[in-house]
Amino acid sequence: MRSPRKLLRALPLVELGALVLVALACLAFQLRLPDRFPAEADYRAVAGWLKAEARPGDAVLLFPWWTEKARLYLPPELPVYGYLGSDGDDLDAHPRVWVLGQPELPRADAAGFQAAFLPGRTVQGAPRRAGRLELTLYENGRHRPRRFVASEAYARARVYLESPDGQRRDCAFDGRTHRCPGPPHLYVAPEWHEILYQPRRCLWMHPPGGEQRLVAELDGVPGGTELRLEGGIIFEHAWQRSPRLSTTYVVVEDAATRERLLEVAQPPGLEGVQKASRTLPPGEPRTVRVWVQADNPESRQMCVELLALGEAS
Amino acid sequence: MTSRAATREERWLAVALWALAFAALWATESAVGFTRDESVYFYASESYARWFQQLWHNPSRALTDAAIVRAFDYNHEHPALMKVLFGLSHLLFHDTLGWLRPAAAFRLPAFALGALVPALTFLLGSAVYGRTAGLFAALSFLLVPRHFFHAQLACFDMPIAAMWLLVVYAFWRALDDRIWGVLCGLFFGLALATKHNALFLPFILAPFALWRAWTVSEKQPVARTGLWRVVGLFATVAVLYGVLLVALGPVGFQKKFLLLSPHTLLFAGLAVGAFWLPHELNRHHPPTALALLPLATMAVFGPIVFYAHWPYLWHQPVERTAWYLNFHATHNHYAWFYLGQLLRAPPFPLEYVLVKTALTVPTSLFVPMVTGLLALAGRAVLGLFERTRALVRVPGLTEALVGVNAVASLLIISHPQVPHFGGVKHWLPAMPFLGILAGAAVARGCEALVERLRVWRPGLSLATVAAPVFALLLLPALVGLVRVFPYGTSVYSELAGGLPGAASLGMQRQYWSSNVTAVLPWINEHAPPNGRVFLHEVHGLSFRDYQRNGMLREDLRPAGPFDADIAAYQYHQEFREHEFNVWESFGTRTPATGLYLDETPQVVVYQRR
Repeated sequence: MRSPRKLLRALPLVELGALVLVALACLAFQLRLPDRFPAEADYRAVAGWLKAEARPGDAVLLFPWWTEKARLYLPPELPVYGYLGSDGDDLDAHPRVWVLGQPELPRADAAGFQAAFLPGRTVQGAPRRAGRLELTLYENGRHRPRRFVASEAYARARVYLESPDGQRRDCAFDGRTHRCPGPPHLYVAPEWHEILYQPRRCLWMHPPGGEQRLVAELDGVPGGTELRLEGGIIFEHAWQRSPRLSTTYVVVEDAATRERLLEVAQPPGLEGVQKASRTLPPGEPRTVRVWVQADNPESRQMCVELLALGEAS
Repeated sequence: MTSRAATREERWLAVALWALAFAALWATESAVGFTRDESVYFYASESYARWFQQLWHNPSRALTDAAIVRAFDYNHEHPALMKVLFGLSHLLFHDTLGWLRPAAAFRLPAFALGALVPALTFLLGSAVYGRTAGLFAALSFLLVPRHFFHAQLACFDMPIAAMWLLVVYAFWRALDDRIWGVLCGLFFGLALATKHNALFLPFILAPFALWRAWTVSEKQPVARTGLWRVVGLFATVAVLYGVLLVALGPVGFQKKFLLLSPHTLLFAGLAVGAFWLPHELNRHHPPTALALLPLATMAVFGPIVFYAHWPYLWHQPVERTAWYLNFHATHNHYAWFYLGQLLRAPPFPLEYVLVKTALTVPTSLFVPMVTGLLALAGRAVLGLFERTRALVRVPGLTEALVGVNAVASLLIISHPQVPHFGGVKHWLPAMPFLGILAGAAVARGCEALVERLRVWRPGLSLATVAAPVFALLLLPALVGLVRVFPYGTSVYSELAGGLPGAASLGMQRQYWSSNVTAVLPWINEHAPPNGRVFLHEVHGLSFRDYQRNGMLREDLRPAGPFDADIAAYQYHQEFREHEFNVWESFGTRTPATGLYLDETPQVVVYQRR
């Protein structure tokens, strides 16, 4: 057996060897890195394919999620998804999903992506390559056809502030927005907002405060569908946990019977999209009331969507 | 002997390294954008420089508290030294001589301080581990892209790293040289005048001074007694200050801290005693007195230089110092993206500093830092046991000083309650020392290799082996630096997988908004006349600075996302809402252009339809 002294004497050489190997690996990484990126022509080629082949209702999903440079080139009418967590997004508004991937990027976790994305999806044809870009079409088994979308039907809604005694103050529609009496943030209109990094087009419904409710009455919600309420507090406000902040309630009621159909409650500190759903019995389209309420409206900026979904295709 | 003076050759090499670094920083600064803080400091610097002009023309008015507050109230969160230097440099090189653009004139003193780091690193590294180690440490320092970036800013992070190193170097030299003992105190004062990191220096250096005094006073009863007296003096003053604080309460303590008060009496007593006791000791045992001198000079000169350099303190020293200290003790926490999580408030992950360092320092430089530190720690551990002590060279005081300074700043920032934003800049003072340990690792490997090779080639020089090894280890860092320059806050190492790897890991993409320079030419070309531009995260003063430095059209006006013609969104995970506000306002989700560094979105530009 070699003496410890001899081993210790050999250590600097071993250390130097390791350092040289690390440096060689680093140099190789730095020199090869630019080759892993797509060229502008690659993006244009993909944009051309999508322009020619994408159907209305299709969407593009980016992999890795942050490769948003593609937005510069892709057809603007095609929704592009890429946000922290988008790998697991059902994208249930879209029957088909084009995955635009860059699997050769460092730390692009293709296995992780597939584990989140593939369940319920069926690949349609072979992936196509344009340089380092890989475009693959999938049939989206998680697709749920929309029978009713509140943010699309909002123009026909009746919007008002409602006091606990039932008194109402109407929010006048100006062609784009239902604007309520009171502070300027009291209105209802579809807008883009962030809920826990996710871009969402949803109905801005800020609670008026106290026991007052901001109500939107929506007609034409079809029976025999899954009624789904999705909402959340936007931006950084959901994260705040101050004791003076209040829980925000979003409730869906049948306008005629006042039966409570759905409800989500978002206490301070709870982040992300809150969801509730139920199956509506078959029957005539109904009118529903969606209302928001929070005792203290501070930092309770709520964005809401109400959907009636058909059967999975 | 514990320390040693630099040889003539080393001094020349240090000067050459300083000049090389200074030239490299100056030659490339024009591409570097103005960080949010930097424009605040530009503004403050001009204000401070105007006060000096007033002092020259009308000293009696300039010295009133009203005039001082008018000039120095802006950004009194930080001491004034660097801002005064920035301001005077701007006054001279831009306003008076017209030689430099405003930003370059402001930044010149920062380059001078930043360039000091390689020079001093070389001197200390050479003295401790030999010239090969010192040279590697010096050359590698500014090849770390984030170091190079911070060295180009008129901010305080690199200057405090330089000052920290200067104080430690002076402290080390002071162990054998009285002049350096005096300089150590003065440099400590200047460090306090640079940034509050310096407040930790006495706690790091005092144990070494006491260790040294304890060892040299062994079997010297008079010297040992003198040592205990000095320790007793400091302890007594600390206890009495503590008693005052408890008795009066924090508010009363502050209120009753007057010119004639027990507080000042204690400081005066400390000042007299701290010099008188070592002076007496010097007559009996100079080495012990020498070891204790830096403690005395730091304790006395530190507060005096700090007070003297900052006119803002002159009329109300206690209240304003207390405010300053309290500001940093209760600093805000800014959101920070780390491994897929948005850190908004403490407790922060304990391993954050280590992981962030590993993912940002080029791996070919980080690994020798780790092996260098581990080797030092390993030798220290083996040196503890009699059985293994003979196997290793047990680290002495100097190596321990390097080792402790290599980890001190990292440990301080690792505390889960300490603000964690700002990437690596808050622990920059540790990096030169880690660089020295890296240099030691590389040097001992080269020396071992040369020793082996000399069996076949007896005349082989160390340089013949060291040069290619240096080149190999430094080249990946240089390639990375050049490719990502000038976007220093975005850089990630090979271990992270570069910028794309870091994006997938969920690391902070960038910060401080300086990457906006990439899209300014496009905005200048495409913005309508008198157009409104939303430069997201860019400070209002930076907008003005881009215009006055000729980087942004003069006719453009700052605007918000809802009234702008063009919006440049800085990709931050915590600010996604701001980009979606632009989508909503501009009626499009399709960017017009952007900065996509190695594919990662950094700045995304939208044009109103």
